[in-house]
Amino acid sequence: MKRSVLVFLVAGLVLLTSLLWMVNSAGMADLTDTIQFGVIGLLVAFAVFIGFRRLKSERRGEPAEDELSKSILQKTAAFSYYISLYLWVAMIYIKDRVNMDTEQLLGTGILGMAITFALCWLILNFRGMRHE
Amino acid sequence: MNNRIRELRARHNMTQDDLARKVNVRRETIVFLEKNKYNPSLRLAYDIAKVFGITIEEVFLFESET
Repeated sequence: MKRSVLVFLVAGLVLLTSLLWMVNSAGMADLTDTIQFGVIGLLVAFAVFIGFRRLKSERRGEPAEDELSKSILQKTAAFSYYISLYLWVAMIYIKDRVNMDTEQLLGTGILGMAITFALCWLILNFRGMRHE
Repeated sequence: MNNRIRELRARHNMTQDDLARKVNVRRETIVFLEKNKYNPSLRLAYDIAKVFGITIEEVFLFESET
């Protein structure tokens, strides 16, 4: 139960921080900021989905996490780490060619890492862990 | 590796939820096992075989990869 609540807590904190950012930059937000808000919204929705899945399992009397979900999470972490390395190399390449300030560039990189993690998790959940 | 979990579950009149609770995993794990999308740990394979009262070799069918 505690771990399921933790997911909602983290999602809530991310949402709260993003809302504060949005309020502070009201009227100054450009297209990149708007896209970043949208992506954060999607990632929060993904976290809430994971939280509800865990709660549903607990209500059925099953563990919130088991050996399959743990191994999917481990493999997701490993995959997304490798992909994130390439992502940051690409960000360094883009830095000198696109007109973005440092905060936007870092924000895009962090969001890219989060998207990579979410996509890897979805793919592994769909594909399964047949040959592990 | 193939398995007879679906067949054995039907024979014992057991739902995926029932089996999941008995071996302490999530229902999704049973779904993945039945679709051959996941190879279980030895511990889980043993627990599943124990629920059906048979040996691991009777539940999980190993095939040579050569």
